[in-house]
Amino acid sequence: MMKPVNFGIDLGTTNSLISRFDNGNITVYKNPIGHKETLASVVAFRNDRILVGDKAREYMLKDAVNVFGGFKRRMGTEERYYVVNLDENVTPVQLSAYVLQELQQFVHSGEKPEAAVITIPASFDTMQSNATRIAGNEAGLKEVFLLQEPIAASLAYFNQQQGEDHEGYWLVYDLGGGTFDVALVQIKEGEMKVVDHEGNNFLGGLDFDLMILEQLIVPEIVRQTGASGFEAEWSTPYGPYEKLYYELLYKTEEAKKELSTYASAIVEFSAVIDDRRHDFEITIRREAFNQLLEKRVKETLNMLQQVLDRNHLKVEQIRQLILVGGSTFIPYVQETLEQSTGIVVNKSVDPTTAVAVGAAYYAANKYYTPSAVDKPTEHADIDALLEGIAGGTETELPDIQLLLSFSKMSKEPEEVLLVKVNGNYFDHSYRIVRGDGGFDTGFVPLKAKFTEFLPLLPNVANPFRLAVYDSQNRELSTLAQELVITQGQYNIAGQPLPKDICIEVDDRENHTTRLELIFEKNSVLPLKKTLYREVSKTIKKGSDDKIIINILEGDRYARPLSNLTIGCIEIQGKDLKSDLIKGSDIEIGLFLSDNRELSTEVFLVMTGQDFKNVFSIAEKRISIARLREQFNDLETEVRKTVKAFNYEDNEIWAIQANGLLDELLSHKPALSKLKDKERSDKKYVIAEAIGRISQEYDKIGGNERLQQLQSEYLHARDYAEQQLPACDFEQDRLKAKFRQLVQNESLVLRTRNPSILQKAIEQLNELIWEILTNTTSYLIVYFHRIKAAPDDAFTNSGGAQTIIRMADKALEQERFFEFRQHVYNLSHLLRQAQPMKGITDFKGTGIG
Amino acid sequence: MDAMIAVMNQVFEISQKLDQDSLSSRFERNLNRLAHIFEEEGYTWNNPLGEKYTDARTDCTASIAGDEGRDMVITQVIKPVIYQKKEGTLSLVQKGIVIVERKK
Repeated sequence: MMKPVNFGIDLGTTNSLISRFDNGNITVYKNPIGHKETLASVVAFRNDRILVGDKAREYMLKDAVNVFGGFKRRMGTEERYYVVNLDENVTPVQLSAYVLQELQQFVHSGEKPEAAVITIPASFDTMQSNATRIAGNEAGLKEVFLLQEPIAASLAYFNQQQGEDHEGYWLVYDLGGGTFDVALVQIKEGEMKVVDHEGNNFLGGLDFDLMILEQLIVPEIVRQTGASGFEAEWSTPYGPYEKLYYELLYKTEEAKKELSTYASAIVEFSAVIDDRRHDFEITIRREAFNQLLEKRVKETLNMLQQVLDRNHLKVEQIRQLILVGGSTFIPYVQETLEQSTGIVVNKSVDPTTAVAVGAAYYAANKYYTPSAVDKPTEHADIDALLEGIAGGTETELPDIQLLLSFSKMSKEPEEVLLVKVNGNYFDHSYRIVRGDGGFDTGFVPLKAKFTEFLPLLPNVANPFRLAVYDSQNRELSTLAQELVITQGQYNIAGQPLPKDICIEVDDRENHTTRLELIFEKNSVLPLKKTLYREVSKTIKKGSDDKIIINILEGDRYARPLSNLTIGCIEIQGKDLKSDLIKGSDIEIGLFLSDNRELSTEVFLVMTGQDFKNVFSIAEKRISIARLREQFNDLETEVRKTVKAFNYEDNEIWAIQANGLLDELLSHKPALSKLKDKERSDKKYVIAEAIGRISQEYDKIGGNERLQQLQSEYLHARDYAEQQLPACDFEQDRLKAKFRQLVQNESLVLRTRNPSILQKAIEQLNELIWEILTNTTSYLIVYFHRIKAAPDDAFTNSGGAQTIIRMADKALEQERFFEFRQHVYNLSHLLRQAQPMKGITDFKGTGIG
Repeated sequence: MDAMIAVMNQVFEISQKLDQDSLSSRFERNLNRLAHIFEEEGYTWNNPLGEKYTDARTDCTASIAGDEGRDMVITQVIKPVIYQKKEGTLSLVQKGIVIVERKK
């Protein structure tokens, strides 16, 4: 069965691209190395490997006898390039095949193109066209369809404007990085053809960069420094300013791009000229750049005019001018074209990808016969391989085995991979690429035994892929291997942390504190981290108020009190140089050594003060102020729970909780007598007791209680979610509130601390009440219930009756908003218990 | 993403200028803090100055000053290498722009 080709390739002189048509959409693939859409059309034959693309281009100037670019211009000629490192000749066709193969690596879906449309310049003759086709075949494409570049660019545009009549003449103006082409395209009775073309192989963006550098920047450097010799030396290869030359070339290109958007751009750099360091800030104005461009753009206009003249066409006969190539982004080019020719300039397609996009559109309508033997061959390979492994009959494919040896974990910045190769590996090559694209060996000839130093990114798993290629540079997929080396995370010498290490921070909304993870259980020592937080309350200089940095060891999901304090720093108002305002920054540096010695360094950005401390875990530090607050919190909570257990008839749990409450209260007198600067052991005894009671309290009911609370939470959450859409007033606000409440749900559900769950349930219940009182149908039911209440249920029975009458009327006339207000007012007249007053004097740790 | 990379490049340039004028120590905290913010957003950078440069290194785009050879090192960094962390793995979002020379 025939299949559409779908793949399009723009095989350019300087850069190449690959694209694919899929269900009406075009994807221009990106290079997995560096994520650029373009691949430099350059091949480098280095000492021991072959590099293709941008990496190869780096060596063009300095290893010119082994690195080749621009070979497209030599396609179809007898030209051979002598490669010193290989001591043999390569043809432009072979070089193009390398580029085409590399482009196929961009196809991330893993699909191997069997056929493709490759674009060629309008100027290519039959020999050149055939040479391109052969390059495609050598690169593993079974079928190659050729398409002229101007036609491809036109297709990219026409496919955006489907349904329009495109009959007539069009001009395609292609100004790229290094070449210029203008082509006249005619559409007659639905048929498209290139009628005429003109071009210059050495005119493009790179020339513009050099002009800016030569004519604007260098004279300015000379003017500012007075260095007379600079002008002669700045571009000399191996000269004193070679590094500066490359830096300026890069920065000039950036400035040129900026000038497409802004009226001016600044080139900033430092350089040592005549033994003196100079700092430069050179402004390039768009007008100055335009003046430089004038002559070159005029050349292109002359060529355009030549094409029109040769074909006896007037500008009015040209439908539009389609722009192709990165240099057509320059506003001056666009404006000059429009003003000088009077032809409408079409900028609707991305000029850098237009040719590749058009090629893919064309490919969607071209068909090829997929090789029917593909699948069975693949199976045959696997069978053969299996037979080989089982020691069965000798196999022909693939007669190569690889044995890899490497360390899966490493603390080093690079790791050695040792590979032993058995079998017939002559003329084969391998390539290793790191997953992120920052490392690529290129094609290296396969040997009986070889090593590669694999550079590792710190503290992550580094995936590598090793692929093997045959003499035609086709990948042998059955031999590919994936290897992963984890850097930094494991070390045999280091010991893992037995419990989480956390810091206690304020949860102001709930008037309590919670734990925030610093170092996770099982992390390997030593560990280091800096926390950036804000001060959550203002502390006056000289006051007794304080910030408490409490570092705890234990379970991050438990309450702070249940964990063991391993380090505590109190910074009092008395220690401050000036007031510390709420919201100012605090930096907390924490270091846990191999010996589990904790060092902390606290820096208050506002006062510029540093507080350093080293704790060994044997030595406990306790803040009495925080201890008192924790005691009160725990007492309130246990009391509440006892009440709830009694209400739910959980007798056993209630007895246990009561016992703990008694025990807790027995420490209250001693705690109240403790002085802030207490030197005795009392505070440790009390802290230990409170911690133990807290742990016991968390354990009451065990998992059963946690499960009950979890299911209660989920029930409340689901109910709120179900009711929200029925809500008639303030729905958006309530939805936002709901989202806010459930955003940390996974943490809430994993907690071992029942109070966190209880608080979350309370908040949800409050929200549910708010949702219901904003839902008309509920308000009606609620109103009738209140209406039926006896007179003494109200604090003001006369007032209540008046409101009831008004509510009835509003309801009758369907004025629901007003009705809601009356029901609210009525509910306030009901005799009911005063709501619990929140704790308002919560001090906390002072860290938000 | 592009805005974040642009900001990181600016911060990198500022830190280079501070280094040049031996002022880095005064701004160390601020620069560390900025690096921390970038990390929290999933971005990390690497200043490859002084690192060796090989044929297999594809995290940088290099210009070679002087002769090329097997013992090349990065002697100037115009833009840093930037990685983005997504689901535990790093991907290269900006290649470094560097100048390399043979070891002297």
